[in-house]
Formats: sequence, C-alpha cells, structure tokens
Amino acid sequence: MKYRIVDEENGPALVLSDQLLFDHRDVFDTAIDKLLARKQPRVVVDMAGLSYMDSAGLGMLLTLRDRADRAAVAVTLRSPSPEVTELLDLACFDSLFTIERA
Amino acid sequence: MSTAAARALVVDDERMNREVIVANLRVAGFETVTAEDGLQAWEILDAHPGAFDVILLDRRMPRMDGMELLRKLKDDQRLDHVPVIMQTAYAETEDVTAGIKAGAYYYLAKPLDRRLLLSVTEAAIADHQRRQRLLDDLDKRTTAMLLLESGTFRFRTLDEGHTLAVALARSCPQARHLVAGLSELFTNAVEHGNLGIGYAEKALLLENRRWRQEVEARLDTPEGRARMVEVQVTRQPESVTFVISDQGNGFDWRGFGQISPERAFAPHGRGIALARTLAFDHLHYNERGNQVTATIHIAAGSDGEDRAACSVAPSLLAATAPPASEEMQLARAMQMELLPQPKVLDDLLRRSGLRVSAHFETSSSLGGDLWGVQVIDPYRTGLWVADFSGHGLVAALNVFRLHALIAQCTPVADMPAAFLAEISRRLAELLPVGQYATMTYGVVDQSRGRFRYAAAAMPPPLLRHADGTVEKGDGAGLPLGLSPRATYAERDLPLSSGGLLFLSSDGLADNPDHDGVKLGNAGIKALIEQARSESLADAVLAPFLARVARPLRDDLTAVCCRLP
Repeated sequence: MKYRIVDEENGPALVLSDQLLFDHRDVFDTAIDKLLARKQPRVVVDMAGLSYMDSAGLGMLLTLRDRADRAAVAVTLRSPSPEVTELLDLACFDSLFTIERA
Repeated sequence: MSTAAARALVVDDERMNREVIVANLRVAGFETVTAEDGLQAWEILDAHPGAFDVILLDRRMPRMDGMELLRKLKDDQRLDHVPVIMQTAYAETEDVTAGIKAGAYYYLAKPLDRRLLLSVTEAAIADHQRRQRLLDDLDKRTTAMLLLESGTFRFRTLDEGHTLAVALARSCPQARHLVAGLSELFTNAVEHGNLGIGYAEKALLLENRRWRQEVEARLDTPEGRARMVEVQVTRQPESVTFVISDQGNGFDWRGFGQISPERAFAPHGRGIALARTLAFDHLHYNERGNQVTATIHIAAGSDGEDRAACSVAPSLLAATAPPASEEMQLARAMQMELLPQPKVLDDLLRRSGLRVSAHFETSSSLGGDLWGVQVIDPYRTGLWVADFSGHGLVAALNVFRLHALIAQCTPVADMPAAFLAEISRRLAELLPVGQYATMTYGVVDQSRGRFRYAAAAMPPPLLRHADGTVEKGDGAGLPLGLSPRATYAERDLPLSSGGLLFLSSDGLADNPDHDGVKLGNAGIKALIEQARSESLADAVLAPFLARVARPLRDDLTAVCCRLP
C-alpha cells in the first residue's frame, strides 16, 4: 500500500493506492495519525487507486472509524474500485461509513 | 447439584433492562440467553424446551406480551414446569393476580432490586432442579407399582418422602407432574406438619440457608422421631386418590391453595399451589389441616414426553506451559481438536444421511478459521464456517473464544439470524477495535427441505443440485463483533435430494495460484460445477489445491455437505 494525504477544500483526503493487506497495518496506523492530526471535522479516504483490499483492510477501516468517532470526525470512503466495492458491500459497510461511489 | 451452570432466558423489549438483568445474573454465575419479545422467546423455547432453568419475563412487550407467552408455556407439557419470574413496572394487584393465576412463579416489581432478583432466581432454579432430579429418579424406578391397587405407606424423613413420591408417581399416568405434586405435599407434611416449622419461620431459615439443617435437627428430637406421615393410596378405574396424614397440630391451609398476590413476593410458600396446578385434579384439606386428599383422574393414553437434547460442548482447555519448542505444536493440535472429529461426522451420516466433509488449511502454524457442525434434532443440523480477521496467533486465540461462544449459543442454534446476532453481541464485548469475524451459520433443515442461514460478510453459500445446476446464496452481512446490536437476515436455499451444499471462507476465493490468479467467487462456482458428482471437499477442491501457491496467504476452509 502507498498513501498520501491531500488537503482538499472539504478537508484532508487519505489517497490510497496499490493493495491494502494485513502487512500494512503499521503504515495505515501512521497514516491515520497524520490524517487526524489535521483536526478537521471531515476526512475522506480516496480508494480509487486501491486495486485490492483483503479482510484485514476492513479491520483497518474500522480502526480508522473508531478513532475518528472519538475525535468527532466524519469519515467518507470515496470511489472504491469494483473489487473493493464488492468487499465493502459484502460486509455491509454502507451502514458504518458514508460511501461515495465512483 | 448439577455442575452445569443454570441457564436463564431473559425476555424484555427494553435493551437496558435486558442488560441490567443479564449483567447481574452473569456475575452470579448464570448463563443467559436474551429475547426481545414474547414471540422470539417462544421460538427459542419451542426449539429448545429442555434448555432453560428459569425464565425472566417482562409483562408489556410488542408482538407477544408476557401474559400471552406465559399462557403458551403453561399449555405446553414440555415447558410448563420451567419457573417463570414476571417483572412488571406496575405491580398492581390485579396485574399480579392474573400472572399468578396463569402460573407465574414470582413477581418482581420494577425497578429491580438486585439482591431480590438473585435470591428469587436462585430459589426458582433450586425448585426446578429439585423437580428435575425427581424426574430423573422417576425414570430409574421399576414399574412394579403399576400393579398397586391400594396400599398404606408410612415415612418420617424428607428423603423417605422423596423415594415414596417417585415410586407412587410411577404407578400413575402423568407421572412427571405427579411426582412434583406428591413431593410438595410430602414435604409439607413433614416440615409444616410433623416438625411444626411455620411459614414465617421457614422464610427466615431459607434466608439464612439453615432450613435443611433445622429440618434434620427437628427430625432428631424425640418428637420428630416418633411422628410419621401416612399415605393411603386407592386406585379406581378412573381415578387415583392419595390421602396424606401427618401427626402435627394442623396448619392453616386456607391461604396456601392459591398463590396470593402478597405471597408472590415471598421466597417460598407456593408448593401447594404448584402441586395443585401441576399435578392434581382435586386437592382437599380436612378442617384441622393435618390431612390432605389429592385426586387425579386417569385419562386414556396420556404418557410419553420427550426431553429435547441440548448439547453443551466443553469450554476452553487450560494447559500448563510446555517447553517453548513444543508450544506451537501443542497449540496447533489444540486448534485441530476444535474441529469436528471423524466420529462425529460418521454419526451424522448414519443418523441423518448427511455426508459432511471439509478441507481446512492454515496459512501459518495457527489459523483464524473454524468450522463446525451440530445436531439440533433428528431433522435439523447446524453447519457453520467462520473466519477471523487477520491470521496467526491473535486470530487463533480468537478462534478459541469463538468456539466457546458457539457452545454457549446452542439455545438459538436453530435460528440462524438470532444465532449470529448473539455471537456478534458477545464478540463485541471481547474484541478490540479492528478485530472481527465473518461467519456463515445455517441449519440444514431436512424436515422443510431448506438450508436456512444467516451470513456475516462471507462468500455466498452454494448449492449444487443433482442435475448439476449451481444455485448461489448471499453472504452479505455486518461482520461479527463490530456492534452489540447488529442484526442479520435469515435467508434460505431449497435443498434437493442428492444435492451438495458448499460453504467456504474467503481463502478459497483469495489465495492466488502460481501465476497470481485468484479463483474469485465465479471461479468457485465453476469449481463446484466441474466437480460433477464429487461430494468430498478434497475431491471438489482438487484442481484448486493443485495450483494454489503455498504457503497460503490466507487460511482456507471449505465444507461440503451432501444431502441424502
């Protein structure tokens, strides 16, 4: 997984690319730290460049959601690829996150 | 005493109330199962009539209220003996009277008093377990008593009374109810009659846990040794009459024939009312109160109740730490022991015709997958596959947790959606953020010809019909352990003779082959189709297993269930 944080008009966006796998937990944690350190009320996770995510990726998104909730920050998942969308739908993540579909 | 923890069903539409009761009961060592209204409670009880020792029932609820459920329980021979403790926000006399008449064991006024909740629940369960022991004994006695025409019996102690109650009950139809009724009357004759322990006195003794001791002490006095209880039994073509006389001073029986509203809040004193309700068609005291005549009418062909089996699997194993080099091997062996053993599968095949097989392969020494099977009754079999997020040690430890939780959820084993909701609720209490499980839990229901299932973010279940067509289910659902209030949908697939039911963890779709190509859900469907009439998991998976890159990236479990 690769990431960068882009400050957009409506708040910071975590732009992910490549694959989000079990081995990327530490990197993802660091990314969350940086994202929430912006102290903005809304953050976006841009998933357009993410070709694949495994079930551990779902766990990482849940960690993000939990930390964001505690900081009163709203999280939007943006433009997941068809394969990632399939996984998000399978886990009913639309009941946990706002998902902006591509 | 039974060594298994007593199990309570807590029925309340308000979540906070349920949680308060559950928390208190658990601290006191009870197992609990919850239901949100009367209808859900009824479904649970109907499927598992032998699974509960006590029911805590709210009065006002949507769909089916407490009174309606209570009446259904009392109309059902399998359930009418389970003590029901009603809770009501308005402890109005008429409200309480209606409940008591309908057979409630006790009334608790809201807001609940914690101490009273526990003492009443314990008393109810003790009563219930005593009754169950009587029933167990009943099954062991010989049937010579069936030949009894008339006879006179004398006894002195509670134990002798117990033995006699069992033997006499055996001579009558509806023995299961009768044994409880006779036992209550015999106990009364000894303690209230011959030994002169008054009502208030007994309450005090029970509270101080000295009742049994006091009975023994009084039995050992000169008076106690001299006084007997006499039982005369007369059998007629259409009735059996028991005349029970003690040598005490008589007692004021008038208030005891029914459970009065005031007494509903006292810890004992419902023995006689229970005896009347459960066992006898007619109960009559002489004026002085030291002789009671109890009659039952004999109806033709009224016998034979089954007790439903509720298996509770052993919980987690505890092992002392072996040398580090062996540790992993031992842990792996322990994990393998969590899976169904060949003998269990052989038994299942023999009993229900279901041929269940699985391929279970971990990506490292320890895995995060689990699968299992459990017989619910001769026509219904629970089948599941679960997968913890991540893999390795943490996932494996979670598998042990899940295995223990599944064993605790047997009361809802035939209700897939409720089962997953309960597992999710319990996991939510245990798991840190970011850890969760996915699971498909279903019931192979051979009486209805359906696979009824619920899923939490799993690959869809597949069903290959005998003609080779493959039907796909739906595995969508919130992963387990994220929310204590997650709910799940019950879905189903039609079973057909010779069909093959197929469940898998995501390792089958996601583990790439040597060229980096994954099977995906479409590939799995093709695999099942191509396997034609193969029904064993290893054979069905053979083409995949030959190509997959090892070591696996993720744990892999696939379960096949071939229908007769």
